[in-house]
Amino acid sequence: CAFLKGKLNVAVDTIQHGVEGLMYLLTESSKLMISELDFQDSIHVLGFSDELNKLLLQLYLDNRREIRSILGELAPKLPSYHSLEWRLDVQLASRSLRQQIKPAVTLKLHLNQNEDQTARVLQTDPSTLLHLIQQLEQALGEMKTNHCRRIVRNMK
Amino acid sequence: ILDDPDLKDIDPTVLKHCHAAAATCILEAGKQKADLSAISTCLEDCKLDKERIEQFCTEYQKNKDALEILLGSIGRSPLHITDVSWRLEYQIKSNQLHKTYQPSYLVTLNVENSDSGSHPDVSFSCTMEQLQDLVGKLKDAAKSLERATQM
Repeated sequence: CAFLKGKLNVAVDTIQHGVEGLMYLLTESSKLMISELDFQDSIHVLGFSDELNKLLLQLYLDNRREIRSILGELAPKLPSYHSLEWRLDVQLASRSLRQQIKPAVTLKLHLNQNEDQTARVLQTDPSTLLHLIQQLEQALGEMKTNHCRRIVRNMK
Repeated sequence: ILDDPDLKDIDPTVLKHCHAAAATCILEAGKQKADLSAISTCLEDCKLDKERIEQFCTEYQKNKDALEILLGSIGRSPLHITDVSWRLEYQIKSNQLHKTYQPSYLVTLNVENSDSGSHPDVSFSCTMEQLQDLVGKLKDAAKSLERATQM
C-alpha cells in the first residue's frame, strides 16, 4: 500500500477502499454469475471511462471461474471422498476358534475435510460387498432417469 | 442352574464345578474343532461311562454348528460395514455462490462395532465421478474375490 501511495501519490485509505471496492465488485459478480451485459450495465453507473469499463469487464471474465471455485469451498459441507484402497483377507484361525476359512475385504477410505485428510479402515464380508456395489450402481443410475434429467433441464 | 428345582439337592459348589468343567470341555472341543471320537476318547480317560459319553456327544453334535458360529464371532476386527444408504441432491445455490447446478451424492456406510455395539456411521459426500471411482474399485475387489474362490 505504501509502495502504491508513493507511485500514485494517493492516500493509503483511498487505495484500501479502492482494493476493497474492486474485490466486492468481482466477488459479487462472480457469485451471481452475471452476464457480460449485466456487468457492463452495472458498472456504467459508476461513471468511469470506457477504457476502464472494458478493463474491468475483462478482469471479471478472466477471473470469475477461479473466484467461483474459491467461493464454492466456503459452503457448508461434509467430508468428501478422496480415494479407496482395498485388500482381500482370509481369516484362518483365532484365539477362540481354529481351522477357519473366513474371507473378508478390508477397505481404507480416504476422506478430505477442510484440507485434512483422514483415513478410515473398515471391513466387510463378500456378500455385503456385492450388496454395496449393487446399491451404489443404482445410485449412479439415478442421474440418468427421466425425472432427474427433466429437473436438470428446467433448472438452468 | 442354581435355580433349577431338579438340582436343588446337590451342593452348589459341586454344581458350579460341574458346570465349569462341562463348559470348558465344550469350548475346548469347539475351539479345536474336535471330532466325536476325540471327544469320546477324552471323556473315557475321565472315567465317564458309555451311556453318559453317548448322551454328551449327541447333545454336542446338535449344537456344534451354533457353537462354531459363536466362537468365530469372538475377536477384534476393524469396524464392519453392514449396509449403505445414499442420497442424490442437485445443488442450486449457497449463500456464497449462486447458480452452482451440480449433482452431488451423500453416502452413508452403516458400520457395526462388535465390541461396543455402537454404530459410528461413516458419511461422506462425493461427485458423480468420485462415486464412479469408488464403485469401480469395489468391483475390482469383488472380481478379485471371484478369482480367488476359483483357485
